[in-house]
Amino acid sequence: MTSNGQNPSDQEILDRIGWSQIRANERKLQRKNFWVAFAFMLPAILLVSSLLLAPVAFNVYLSFTKWAKFKGIDQFAGIANYVRLGTNPFFADALYNTSIWVVASIVFPLAIGLALAVFLRGVPFENLFKNIIFIPRILAPTAVGVLWFYVYAPDGVVNRFLGFVTGGDVDIGWLYQENTVTPAIIATFVWQSVGLVMVLILLGLSAIPRDPIEAARIDGASSGQVFRHIVLPLLLPTLLVVTILSVLAGFTVFDLLWVMGASYPGQRTLSLAVFMYFEAFQKGSWAFGSAIAVIIGIVVFSVTWIQAVLQHRVDRMMR
Amino acid sequence: MSNTMDGIDFAAIVDKERASKQRNWLALTAAVIISAVWVVPFYYLAISIFKTTEEYSLNHPLSLPSGLAPVVENAVTAWTHAKMGAGLWNSALYGFLGAGIAVFIAALAAYGLSRIDFKRKNLWFMLIFSGTIFPLQMYLIPLFFFYQKVGILNTHFGMVLFYSAICIPFPVLVLRNYMNGIPRDMDEAARMDGASEFTIFRRIVLPNCWGPITATFLLQFTWIWNDLLFSTVLANRAEVRSIMNALQVFQGSYSSTGPNVVLTAAVIASAPSIMMFMLLRKHFMEGMRVSGS
Repeated sequence: MTSNGQNPSDQEILDRIGWSQIRANERKLQRKNFWVAFAFMLPAILLVSSLLLAPVAFNVYLSFTKWAKFKGIDQFAGIANYVRLGTNPFFADALYNTSIWVVASIVFPLAIGLALAVFLRGVPFENLFKNIIFIPRILAPTAVGVLWFYVYAPDGVVNRFLGFVTGGDVDIGWLYQENTVTPAIIATFVWQSVGLVMVLILLGLSAIPRDPIEAARIDGASSGQVFRHIVLPLLLPTLLVVTILSVLAGFTVFDLLWVMGASYPGQRTLSLAVFMYFEAFQKGSWAFGSAIAVIIGIVVFSVTWIQAVLQHRVDRMMR
Repeated sequence: MSNTMDGIDFAAIVDKERASKQRNWLALTAAVIISAVWVVPFYYLAISIFKTTEEYSLNHPLSLPSGLAPVVENAVTAWTHAKMGAGLWNSALYGFLGAGIAVFIAALAAYGLSRIDFKRKNLWFMLIFSGTIFPLQMYLIPLFFFYQKVGILNTHFGMVLFYSAICIPFPVLVLRNYMNGIPRDMDEAARMDGASEFTIFRRIVLPNCWGPITATFLLQFTWIWNDLLFSTVLANRAEVRSIMNALQVFQGSYSSTGPNVVLTAAVIASAPSIMMFMLLRKHFMEGMRVSGS
């Protein structure tokens, strides 16, 4: 706002009220405010950066070295650790099982949670059933894993039930065989987590306005049509959040695999998280373990990124 | 009035009501069958802890126990063999101190981020919040190395330190949003009267935030109580072991002790968090709500 003759009164006014002084004060206040706020944030910043952010950065660095348990970080290895991943037979299996976890934890919690939420609305003793399905969520995954370890035992409840249905003796070693161990643990994961999914979907359902539904009913829409064309689109944001929550929980799961997979000979192939633990803390190949952790990080970020894109689309659609 | 009454077909209404009652019965039956998937494992857990090892191995897994007395022996065996006393004490220490320190530090940071004006707030917020966007596996190896180097591996201090750090980012998000919604005229009035920022935080803002503070404390406490990964890597000695770690080790190495004993240990390990949930259900639900949406 320069005053070159056109409007001299502006400068005069600014001078009279001491504008430059005010601005200097303002800036001083901002600076003082920043340091006050910084003092409040300091403990959080210190703890988070030293115990969370620094380790992550160090982990990425480690993955490019040749570090092992009793050796120092003497040599830079380039991408050798990542190349080694490609030739490691366990890595391919672990990656395969992890991708099964990703797909399963998108599909099952969502489909079963939605079905339960829709079905249980209006059933007599609705709250009792909802509470029963929600209870496992309160328990620690470790305790749930211990419980299901015995439920799946060769002479356990699952096999007894199958024997009762088929009329013969069933002794499937659910947690001992390659083709049943992952589905069995996924079933336990869904058993524990579907309660929360159901509750969140019910919250979303109760937030849907009744008017468009009534209007469609009056116009003669069937309940299937109402569900598909009105309820489902309005529920989409909730479903998206729920899916992301369960997929992130699903493929970083460790406790269940650690407890329930303890008797499975190929435990390290159950997921990338377990594989990483084996390599780093049982074999002591720290640099190699860091490379696996970085791969897990890349998967997490791709999932989060996809979620952000989808969220953006849904937000635009809703408007 | 009477005219419209005449026009109503009562028989049809009765029919309709009967049909809907039938549908209710059908739905109820289906709901019972579905919920059996959840009830049966819990029933199995509930009866197994009342069986002796011999009784467990000889009978059908779903048969009723012959008496209630064996639970005492199971509990004693589990308690002594799995060192559950130490485990419970350690987990309680980690949970209360870790979650308590984290939520307090998070409240301080949230105050700075919401009640004081300065530039580039979002940048500072993202710096703190970014602590929680990485998968847990990325912290493990550097932390283990660092803890070993400094000499706090397998110590209570090291565990509380780490849990305090990892439980900060999420409460900062929740409390910042909440504090943004509290009206500011009280702060301004107090500032005019010469109150320090910390006084305003402690006397005005904090008392208004007890709801979300309790909710986030409970969520973080439960997270620490349930954690197996970090307690396995950073504190794997019997004296500093968390309860979940003790349970996992017990199940792995004492498989010669019957399932009835291990299941009793699982119940003991879960009892405190279940009791807490029952007592503070309202706050937990609030926590679920803030974390889910």
